[in-house]
This record gives sequence, structure tokens and C-alpha cells, in this order.
Amino acid sequence: MSVLSELFQLHVLLPWLLGMLFGIFVGATPGLTATMAVALIVPVSFYMPDPNTGLAMIIGVSFTAIFAGDIPATYLRIPGTPASAAATLDGHQLAKQGRGRFALLIDLFCSSIGGLVGVTLLILIAPQLARFALKFSNFEYFWLAIFGLSMSAVVSSGNTRRGLLAAAFGMLLATIGLDVVSGAQRFTFSNPELMGGLGFIPVMIGLFGVSEVIRSVLSGFKAEDSNTTNSDKGDSALHSLVAIWKHKFTVIKSSMAGTIIGALPGAGADIAAWAAYGLEQRTSKKGANFGKGEVAGVVAPTSANNAAVSGAWIPALVFGIPGDAVTAIVLGALMMYEIKPGPLIFEQNPEQINAIFLIALITQLLLIPCGYLGLKTFGWLLKLPRSMIMVAVLVFSVVGSFSLRNSIFDVYVMAIFGLVGYFLEAKRVPLAPLILGLILGPMVEENFRTGLIKSEGSLLPFLNRPICAFLVLLLIVAFISPLLLKRIRRKPAKLV
Amino acid sequence: MTKSIHAILLILLPFLIGCKPSDPNAAAASYPSKSITVICPWAAGGGTDRLSRFIADQLQSELGKPGVVINRTGGSGAVGHSAGALAKPDGHTITMITFELSTMHWMGISDLTWEDYEPVLQMNADAAAIIVRADAPWKNLNEFLAAAKADPGKLTMSGTSTGGAWDLARAGFQLEADVPVEAIRWIPTKGSAPSIVELLGGHIDAVCCSVPEAISQIEAGQLRTLAVMSEDRLLDYPDMPTAKESGINWVAVGWRGLAVPKGTPEPILQTIREACERIITSPEYDDFMKKNGFSTEIRTGDAFSQFLADQDSQWKTVIEAAGYAK
Repeated sequence: MSVLSELFQLHVLLPWLLGMLFGIFVGATPGLTATMAVALIVPVSFYMPDPNTGLAMIIGVSFTAIFAGDIPATYLRIPGTPASAAATLDGHQLAKQGRGRFALLIDLFCSSIGGLVGVTLLILIAPQLARFALKFSNFEYFWLAIFGLSMSAVVSSGNTRRGLLAAAFGMLLATIGLDVVSGAQRFTFSNPELMGGLGFIPVMIGLFGVSEVIRSVLSGFKAEDSNTTNSDKGDSALHSLVAIWKHKFTVIKSSMAGTIIGALPGAGADIAAWAAYGLEQRTSKKGANFGKGEVAGVVAPTSANNAAVSGAWIPALVFGIPGDAVTAIVLGALMMYEIKPGPLIFEQNPEQINAIFLIALITQLLLIPCGYLGLKTFGWLLKLPRSMIMVAVLVFSVVGSFSLRNSIFDVYVMAIFGLVGYFLEAKRVPLAPLILGLILGPMVEENFRTGLIKSEGSLLPFLNRPICAFLVLLLIVAFISPLLLKRIRRKPAKLV
Repeated sequence: MTKSIHAILLILLPFLIGCKPSDPNAAAASYPSKSITVICPWAAGGGTDRLSRFIADQLQSELGKPGVVINRTGGSGAVGHSAGALAKPDGHTITMITFELSTMHWMGISDLTWEDYEPVLQMNADAAAIIVRADAPWKNLNEFLAAAKADPGKLTMSGTSTGGAWDLARAGFQLEADVPVEAIRWIPTKGSAPSIVELLGGHIDAVCCSVPEAISQIEAGQLRTLAVMSEDRLLDYPDMPTAKESGINWVAVGWRGLAVPKGTPEPILQTIREACERIITSPEYDDFMKKNGFSTEIRTGDAFSQFLADQDSQWKTVIEAAGYAK
């Protein structure tokens, strides 16, 4: 308990809370990601008098930024971080109905619960989960990515053909750059800026943010033509808690799935959010309402993405191997604190591990006041005239795109995709599948080709490895069950 | 119509603000007259980034102007390296150059070579190592190589992308050991960390990366080093044999150093050299390198230029033999 009393001192709590508020700000700013928030806070944390204060800042930031990314995704339909893209669906639909605050309060509580479930699993069964994650190789990751990609049909808001087109376009865009498998250049036109591929963030901000600015300006900032909203019914927190209670199993299920996906070194919070969304859509009775402002469509991805942040700590602590970009930075920082994560840390430095666990748990609770402040401030800012909001969106879009690689090229990419997004939406092509294609296209391709190198060209390992077989089965069930359910439900209706 | 003009102006606004007239020639006498930018060609949070931030911090106290790190990533390091070489040669932009500078022009990724720079000094070199699971059937390097020779194409190895530093290191090593490059299949990954996961999970047979990258698993007894591709045994890990001890005359290191654009005036270059030499001889530097697990290997002046020229020819041979040349 000495650690606990040590943590609850002003010189620890103050930087901790300030760090978390900083995480909220960065996460809520389109283009500034959780990864960047952590990278920026790490050098500051070294100035803290003791390691626990520094660690509290770093852990605090890593958990808040992902929730904060859902704030602009819900209110403005502009994801603040890649892991928040799923919140542009049901969360945003609720906001358009004037229930943005309701959606975000659900989001906040579920983020906190998701994080708590994730950290609890981390404490209880980290070594087991880590060993399970080791069983995943290219063959398994391939099916995981295919499962994610199959969701593009779900998120195409009733327009499957256009949705698939958008997903294919996203996958095509993802092929630009140096091919990881062979090192060949694809569509780079010898431009070194294109060798690393199109930045995911500039494309995402362009598609969602800049296109919205264009639309707003062209429509003379009229609310009805816009995707953004500044009317809010102001539901109380109680409404949201009741709504969560009705979906308690979804919260738990999504949090567990998120933790497991987060623990896989080849998948992160973004994929966890989509997978949870798809899983819920396929198994929920209200699956057909998804994308129209369904509460479960808010609950599932947001529980999963915060749980995935905890999940990513599992391989980081157990093997000393980062589960995602954020934990990669954290591992570097831990080394500076002379903490060596890895198989030996649990035996050699149990005190340090306990401190990390405790900080992570308390962070989930501190998230609620910090997040509340964030969404309150954001809701207040939305009362400003729409033209001013759009200027701010544009400024942050440019800053965000530029700061990622310090490249003006990325700003051009963002501007071009602003136009692309505007035209695609004008032609009623949904953007969510495009994002899915962009994230998952490379994952499908690289794992398929690398898998084939491993198996010397044989397709068999894609089917006969136990986890592969299970994933294939899941995929088949997921596709057939909605059709079967429809049949079953239709028949009695006809009889009556 | 005015609406759309507004829209266009609104969209152009940030670009207009972004343009500013370039500085006139900065006089060598007043150097440094503004903040020093350290370009890091790799992402924030990685090892090269940590070293860049440390150097920027130290340069700040040495030269009395703010030191700023800019991560210019992409194109396997090509973007950052060219940005650094093409910067104004006034000493206010310093680049953290890395191993890839010696290889990317042979692979057709960039036209850039070390001769586009004025080398300042080398700071570090991490030797490649061949690492296997602790329970692997090969007791030593020769048994491993014999297995690769006996059944070509059976063993798999990873460590980074195809044509990346550790792939080239093992390819050159195999050539020297008279084992054809294709005899061991290279499984491309995004870096050493995912490769170590693959190795622990039993999906591949060996990993080629630097020792510090795998040290926590090695110390825990899960992984084992067969050979380190260094001149002598590593100071920090004296129990790990070198490839040379098994009769394979091969050294491969991933290195980092500092350079400024070609054409930087001599007095400014001198000031930077002196500042950097003070930094790398400080106890803070030793402490930093130790905490991060980086091996210090310092070359200054002509020795560094010679090293860069040697690296260039060493990797040319390997890249051609491995079939990566463009």
C-alpha cells in the first residue's frame, strides 16, 4: 500500500492529471494521435523527480488520447485518432439527433470500463495471454484482417456495392510505397515522399475533416447540409449509465475481445475497435440498426479500443516487445528509467510492476473527470459560429498532417483527399469502408505473401492451423447467420 | 460564386502562411545565429530518435541555441537523409545519418550517398548477431550453417524487411561462410521486435538483429546468441562468440553518426566538430548509451570518411550478390 500513498501526493497527482488533460487535448485534435501524445510527453516526464510520477504521466496520456479521439468523431465526424474511426458511425448519428453528449458519456464510461477490464486481465493472466499471442503468425493475422475487411459491407450504410468499391479503392491506395515483402517500389514515381506510402493520418483527416470544411463553406454554413452538429439535448449522465447497463454484456465482451486483439503484436486499437463493432453487429438482435445511431454501436468499439491499449502492454511487459507504436515509445522510456521489461521483470522487480499496474488502474478512474472536462469543453466550443469551427478544423488538419512527418507533402495529400472525400460523399460513396481498406489492405497482403514465403507456396497452413480453422469458421458463421436468422424470423411471420 | 472563392482562400490560407522568404547567407562569425535542427530520418520513439533528442539537448548547452529534433520519416530513411543533405549548408541543420545511407543508393531507393554530406563523426555501431531459441538443435554457429547447407531453403530467418540492414548483414555473412543466400529463406517483417515474437512463437528458426534488441529474452534464457558479427567480442557481452572465432571473416554493424550538408563553411564545421567531440567524451554520453544499450563506437574526421567509403563498397558487393541491386 506504500505505493498507493506515494501516488496520492500532490507532486505525483498534479503532473499526472496535467498529462491526462494534455492527452485529451492531443487526442481530440484531428491529426494529432495517441502515439504523438506519448512521444511528446516522454521527454517532459524525464524532468519529474521520481520514476513513478513520470510513469504516471506517460500511462495517463496513453489511455486518455484514445477516448478523446472519439469526441470530434462523434460531434464533427472527424476521428481524432485512427482508433476512433468507428465512432464516426453510430456515435455521430446520435449526435446528429442531438444526443452527442449522451453518446459521449456512454463512450467515456465504456472507455473507462474497457480500460479497467484490460488492465485487470493484464494483471491476472498477462503471461498466459502473451503465450497465446505467440501462436499468432502470418496465417492467423491474414484471417483476422480478412474478418476486419469483411466488415466493409457492414459499414457501408446500406449501400453494399458502393461500400465494396470504396474498400477496394482504400486497398489500392494502400499499395503505394515500398513493398515490405519484396522491397519493390509501387506507384512511387521515384518520389521519396511516396516511398513510405500515403500517410494514413493525412488521408483520414482529408477525407473526413477537409471534405466537411468544403461542404460547409459551399453550403454557406447551413446546418442541415452539414455533418456537424451543435444542438445538444443535454442528457444527464444517468441516461448514459442506464443505457450502458442495458448493454453490460456487450461492454464485457468487447473489452475482452479488445484486450486479446491489443495483446497481438500485429494488431492494435484501431483493428480492435472495428472487430468489436463487426462482432456486435453480427450477433446483436438490433444488427440492422447499426450505423443509424444504435447504442451498442457506440459501446462496442469504444470499450474495445481502450481495452486494446491495455492489451498492448501484455507483450510489452511479458516479453519486452511492443504491441503497438505507443508501447514501443513507452518501452524506450522505461529503459531510460532503468526498468527492463521482459520475462525477468516479474521476478526481479515486482514492486515496479505493481506500481505500473496501480497507475494503470487509477488512470482508468481519473479518465472520467478528465474526459468529462474534455467533452464539456468541446461541446461548449461547438456553440461557436460554424464558420469559426470550420477554420479551426482546417488549421488543426494542416498542423496535424504536417507534424506527423514534418512534411508539407502530407499537407498536400490531406488537401487532395479533402476533395476526394467531398466528391465521393456527393456520389454517396461511404467513407468508412475506404478507411478499412486502407488500414487492413496492407495487413491482408503482407501476411498472405509472407505466409506463402514461410509455407513455400502452400496454402494449407492458412486452413489447417487450429486458430486459422477457428477464424475461418467464425467468418463463415458470421456471414451465414444473418441470412439464416432472417429466414427463421420471416417464416413464423408468414404463418401468422 | 463568392462563396467558392472564400472556400478556396480558406483552404489556401495555411499554405500562404507557410511560405516565408529564405534567410540571406548567415555569417560564419555569428554561428549559431538561430536554433539548431537535428534531422532524424526515423520515427519518434525509436532508438535513433532517442539518440537524436539527446544530441539536440547537448548541442543546446554546447552552442547556446535551442536544439530541435525533426523526424523526417519515410522511404526507408530516404526522405530524412535527402532533407538533411539538401538543407542550407549553414550549420543550423545537422542530420543523424544511419546505416541505410550506405545501402539505399545501391538499391535504387535514392541517389544520395555519403559524399553528399560533410561527415562530422560516428557515434555508435551495433553489431549484427545470429540469435536462436534456447532449445534450438544447433549448439553453435557451425552446426547451424551445416544445417542450412545440408537442406537449402529449409531454415527461415528474420529481423527486418527484405533488403533491410539485418537482411544484408546475414546475406553477407552467408556469402562469407559459403552458404548461398537463398539457402536460408528471409521472412520479411517490420523490424526486430516482431521478428523476435515470431522466433519465440516457433514460427521461424533464427533472427538476425543487434544483441541489445533481444537482450531481455537472452538474459531470461529463452533465446541464445550463436554469433556476433563484430571484430572482437562485445564489451558488455563477453560470453558471446564472434563469427570470426568460427573462421568466418565477416563484420556487419548498424551505425549512427552526424553529418552536415556539403558546402558548410570550414569554420562552422570546426565549431560543430568541437562541440560534438565534447559531447561524446562526456560522462553523460556514456551514461545515456549504457542505459539505452547502444554500443559506443567513435570515429572522427578522416577515419569516419574512410569508414563510410568502406561501408559503401562492402554493401555494394552484398547487395549485388543477394540480387537486390537496381
